[in-house]
Amino acid sequence: MTRVGGDRLPSSIRERGDPYLATLIQQIINGLSLGSVYALIAVGYSLVYSVLLFSNFAHGGFLVIGGYICYAALRTFNIGIWMAGALSLVGAGAAAILTERLAYRPIRERTNVTLYLLIASMGMSIVIENIFVIVAGGRFRALPPVIPTTPVNFFGLATTSAFDLLSLVSAVVFLGALQLFLSKTRWGLAIRAAAYDLRTAGLMGVNVNRLISIVFFVAGALAAVGGIFLSVRYTLYPQLGAITIKAFVAAVIGGLGSLPGAVVGSLILGLAEMLTAGFISSQMRDLVVFSLLVVTLLVKPTGLFGKSVSEKV
Amino acid sequence: MKRNWMIALVVLVVVAGYFFMQQQAPQPPKEEPVKESPTPTPEAPKAEEPKAEEPKAEEPKAEEPKAAEETVKIGYLAALTGDWAAYGQTEEKTARLAVDEINAKGGVLGKKLELVVYDFRTRAEDAVNAVRRMIEEDKVVAIVGANGSGINIATAPIVNRLGVSQIGTVSTNPLVTVDEKGEVRPYSFRICFTDPYQGKLIAFFAAKELKRMKAAILYDVGNDYSQGLREFFMKSYAEYQGEVVADLGFRGGTDVDFRAQLTEIRDKGADVLVLPNMGKEMALIMKQARELGMNEIVFVGGDGYGEFMWEIAGEAMEGSYWINHVAPEDPAMAPFFAAYKEKWDDECKEFVNGVLGYDSIYWVADAISRAGKADPKLIRDALEATKDLKLHHATITMDPKTHNPVDKDGVVLIAKDGKGQFFTKIKP
Amino acid sequence: MSGYAEGIIILLCINAIAAMGVSLLTGFTGIFSLGHAAYMALGAYTSAILTVQHGVHFFPAILLGGVVAVALAYFIGVPTLRLMGDYYAIASIGLGEAIRLILENWQSVTRGARGYPGIDPYTSLPIAVGFFVILAIFMFNLINSRFGRACKACRDDYIASSLLGFNTARIRVVSLMISAFYCGVAGALLGGFLSFIQPVMFDMLKSTELTAVVVFGGLGSMSGCILGTAVITLVTELFRPISQYRMLIYGAVLVIIMVLRPEGIMGNRELLSWIKDPFGRRS
Repeated sequence: MTRVGGDRLPSSIRERGDPYLATLIQQIINGLSLGSVYALIAVGYSLVYSVLLFSNFAHGGFLVIGGYICYAALRTFNIGIWMAGALSLVGAGAAAILTERLAYRPIRERTNVTLYLLIASMGMSIVIENIFVIVAGGRFRALPPVIPTTPVNFFGLATTSAFDLLSLVSAVVFLGALQLFLSKTRWGLAIRAAAYDLRTAGLMGVNVNRLISIVFFVAGALAAVGGIFLSVRYTLYPQLGAITIKAFVAAVIGGLGSLPGAVVGSLILGLAEMLTAGFISSQMRDLVVFSLLVVTLLVKPTGLFGKSVSEKV
Repeated sequence: MKRNWMIALVVLVVVAGYFFMQQQAPQPPKEEPVKESPTPTPEAPKAEEPKAEEPKAEEPKAEEPKAAEETVKIGYLAALTGDWAAYGQTEEKTARLAVDEINAKGGVLGKKLELVVYDFRTRAEDAVNAVRRMIEEDKVVAIVGANGSGINIATAPIVNRLGVSQIGTVSTNPLVTVDEKGEVRPYSFRICFTDPYQGKLIAFFAAKELKRMKAAILYDVGNDYSQGLREFFMKSYAEYQGEVVADLGFRGGTDVDFRAQLTEIRDKGADVLVLPNMGKEMALIMKQARELGMNEIVFVGGDGYGEFMWEIAGEAMEGSYWINHVAPEDPAMAPFFAAYKEKWDDECKEFVNGVLGYDSIYWVADAISRAGKADPKLIRDALEATKDLKLHHATITMDPKTHNPVDKDGVVLIAKDGKGQFFTKIKP
Repeated sequence: MSGYAEGIIILLCINAIAAMGVSLLTGFTGIFSLGHAAYMALGAYTSAILTVQHGVHFFPAILLGGVVAVALAYFIGVPTLRLMGDYYAIASIGLGEAIRLILENWQSVTRGARGYPGIDPYTSLPIAVGFFVILAIFMFNLINSRFGRACKACRDDYIASSLLGFNTARIRVVSLMISAFYCGVAGALLGGFLSFIQPVMFDMLKSTELTAVVVFGGLGSMSGCILGTAVITLVTELFRPISQYRMLIYGAVLVIIMVLRPEGIMGNRELLSWIKDPFGRRS
């Protein structure tokens, strides 16, 4: 037998002779931390979908905007991560509102075919990506090490990075804040009403345009949080937004329009990816992601938590 | 009726095609097909069309008689948008730098060089038309680029049919210059070494220099460069009695989390991790490996190395080895880096692409002056006959049977103290 | 004719064939797909493998490329077309990516991501234009036939048309199969045009481009989709000298047309719509 793993595996496991358990625990932790970043992005997709009933493919763009604002703030103005983070949240939120005003509102006011919004959002994602290609260049950039990435040992069972825990915690904090916002404030109530029926909410006196702006702001800000975490972990470049396709898949698996669904879907997807890569084959990883998507749609098209809508005659 | 309809349709397509050729653009009747979209909608793009068109339409008229005598045009196929933008943009800058330097010294054959740069947004079907346009509209005498084998293979039939040489900068797939029947493509060249050669260099270095015999490999299944390098590495490594204990893949672009694969590699007990990938992914892999506590394993990579990786991976870079075409602190390269900084006010971080693009221009310029005439056929012959030509990063000699540079030294860099430093030169 | 113009026209014909297929599905049957590049990939690989490894003449190989795409469309369509609206679109993303990933991983047959080289460059100008004209005539006849009207009925009111006795499920599947055939043929022609194919050429970006072109030209207008293809192909070609800004303009054009004229260039009218029913009555 060849020596396996050497001294790099925690000795407790090695003595018990159970490398699978260690790998399993490791992959589960990795999966949860990946899923938590997906969740931040997936929630944005779901939030917009719940109100406007279209998949906003420009969402990846908001994430890139957030990342670049944070990068510029840290590199150029030398301000702390908290300030830079706040700036990037506000900036990405504002960009999201602007996108909605310029590209979606005129279409929304003219027609109720969501397909046109979808195409416009694809156009916007191309526009945002290429603005950064031109202005900032295609180069891969890394944020300064503002978030610790030191290894953390889990009770001698597995090792993970402090960053993973931090992203998990931040995801919980931001999603908790969103939940509070939606359930305790007047605008949260209005958003929930609009998610139920936008037209009726408008008739009941809700300022629909302002409501949609708020929804986009929240979605953009959450995307920026995801963007900061992704660019710390994976670098920042104009095509970073392409990662959001997985978050989108997660949102669909959980049920488009459902916020708990987006979170659960993201965690499932993160775990599925990591466990496939760890125990089956890393080549199969994406195949599993997309098969999971198709199977979910076939079995329960509205996703795990989606409200089932019957076809209106 | 029916027939009229179809004829109208075909005429529309054909006329529209002609319309967009610059020579015919100014003629008013040809504009109709596009104006048939009777809506006010495309106003914004419309408004811009004349802008882009006019200079283009007038240029050939106003300048061509003179230009044909005064400048020699070289095409550059650069990835300015899309996933390879970081590399393509650098290549464009270094190529422009080389052209400016050559022109400042009086140009070639008493004529100034002119660079025609077209983007291909990393898509082969776009590159094919870009190359046709360079050759037929802009009358370039040689083409430099692209920085990807797939693109070069797709454009090869065209440049070979039309008889204009094309030099791949980092196109390492053997099929770029030699077709699948093993015959050399007369007008296709490359300045870099090939995947089999590089794979062999990596295997040689890992097994013979580092004496590490249990390798893990982590490659990008969606990337032809990465797949090729892996294949040739595995073959050569087996010849050197090495054992590949883990052979794992990932998907570049969307896949940015490698902890699952790394965990497996750790459990398999590999002592060297071979990374035949592009810079970003390698940096992430190294960073994540160290975060998982894999402190013993040695990283060996290929020519995907870039200085920007330090920004991503930080200390995880220390002690990794890179088999490369160029060493950045090579004294011969210092003037290049200084000139680049002065011209573009930026560090040349993607220096492999940058230097190879830069030297490709010098190579073409040398071939033109040896040809004695800016004629594509003669330039091809001169390129093929290149022998002991001293460029900035290396001295190259062409193998006329393969159009690959002969026995180019592999430069091994070691990542140390925040930058890639010269370690040794190897030749298996 | 210069080779450059020839190249543009061939590419235009290929794109237009694929766009017609997508237009039948999206514009006339109301099924929105974001994965049609996969059918192009199937056509391209089928035709490449047949011509290179089995020495089949390119003409049957191109048609067989289409047929393989149709066969797969049938197996995919029967279960998934039960999904309506956005849900099918999302499923098609998953299906398209899955097919591409299989092509990438199935190295023994497709040679993986390194691509499939050495395809005979059989797509000459007459072949491309010939295929385009024949397929266009067929398509224009189809949309005015009983089947075409049934498709439009499905699109406009799915439930009402099923109450009228149309077998709506079948119509949707057949529409998908025809559109897959068009995309398969387009893919096979693209393989012959480039003489080299890689799975990455048929990614999601390609799929969204196809759909974007159809919406751009006008949903429910076959001539609109051809015009849309022409405009988009030529705009990207026209702006080639300002390379870096090209994609920005492309994205902006998409957004602007959706904002100013969401129904696309042609709306649902056909070019020369004053000539009523140009192909005469058929049933």
